[in-house]
Amino acid sequence: MANLLWLQGGACSGNTMSFLNAEEPSACDLVTDFGINILWHPSLGMELGDNLQRLLRGCVSGEIPLDIFVFEGTVVRGPDGTGAWNRFAGRPMKDWVAELARAARYVVAIGDCATWGGIPATDPNPTDSTGLQFLKRQRGGFLGADFRSKAGLPVINIPGCPAHPDWVTQILVAVATGRGADIALDDLQRPKTFFTSFTQTGCTRNMHFAYKVSATEFGQRKGCLFYDLGCRGPMTHSPCNRILWNRQSSKTRAGMPCLGCTEPEFPFFDLAPGTVFKTQTVMGVPKDLPEGVDKTGYIKLTVAAKAAAPKWAEEDIFVV
Amino acid sequence: MSDRPPRDPDALRRYIAELLAAGLETETEPIPRTEREFAEILDQLRALDPDDVRGRLVIAGFLDHPYGPEQQRCQECIYYLVHRRWCDIPEISLPCEPDWWCRLWRI
Repeated sequence: MANLLWLQGGACSGNTMSFLNAEEPSACDLVTDFGINILWHPSLGMELGDNLQRLLRGCVSGEIPLDIFVFEGTVVRGPDGTGAWNRFAGRPMKDWVAELARAARYVVAIGDCATWGGIPATDPNPTDSTGLQFLKRQRGGFLGADFRSKAGLPVINIPGCPAHPDWVTQILVAVATGRGADIALDDLQRPKTFFTSFTQTGCTRNMHFAYKVSATEFGQRKGCLFYDLGCRGPMTHSPCNRILWNRQSSKTRAGMPCLGCTEPEFPFFDLAPGTVFKTQTVMGVPKDLPEGVDKTGYIKLTVAAKAAAPKWAEEDIFVV
Repeated sequence: MSDRPPRDPDALRRYIAELLAAGLETETEPIPRTEREFAEILDQLRALDPDDVRGRLVIAGFLDHPYGPEQQRCQECIYYLVHRRWCDIPEISLPCEPDWWCRLWRI
């Protein structure tokens, strides 16, 4: 049996909604099949008031073994470092986070806000929000760069806005079943099993990417979304087109650009007008090229691809 | 030449080619440097009557030859459909030729 505690800081509950929609395994499977005991969760927990405070204090003291501490949302430090803008169970949430993270065998950050600060930490960051161990791409965050949980691991980051539910439940199962040490993390402490490939990997529009045929409107049944509509699929690490959403589809499959929400820079360009859903260019060439591709190579590839493009690439090929 | 553009794509392509060959003055500059400037040109195009082909050519800055030091042309533009010989920007949506150019060019 592994005890799991889930708290929310500066959050919209999006990751909770995502988690509750998990299928492989489901949130119920965690309890019935994988021996996870959910001590408390904002949408599932029964305890209130004094009972909740008693539970939290028990986790901090070690009286209740805390195997997995899951945090969703930013750690709010404002105003003036007090954390008073996000109070929970009688004190600033940040104080609970600091003590519970020290007590836990594993600490898991779910969603962009908990991992890198996400939208709340975007400039000018009025709530002085941060992620657990990163602030955007800068290592440190709330717990500090050297933080290690009792199991010896840094915070396990599962980013996304929201994170895919199955990324969450599969990592929780790995940890709960004693395979935590097998989780390989990348430089940003994301599980490599999910975050080594790109959003573009498995995208059904890859043929249009290859032949440089652009989608020019949302939902079009042809064309790649990278060239005009700001899709970040070629430079974003996520398995969104390998582990499908609702087991059905993905943003790009449905004709919506990837927003790059698993990367620390999300939301990009500080949400300046004209930067969302629009590929940023310099003299007609995209500012952000597919990872590992330089401008000269990109132009050469485009010239060759346009010359080789077959007729079908220009036609609506996705049918309802 | 009639002021009302033909509907047939090939006839329309010839119509446009004749306009450009006759020296139609189009707004090749300024080339949009930011997405906001790009969007402003699209806004101007959206404001036109759908039959105003000449207006679209002028505002988009069409030329019937490559342009600039890198000799940019439709053939390499991501909005150009090579088989249909068509500009696929919804606000333009006109037939064109691979060696033409406009200031909304991007690769």
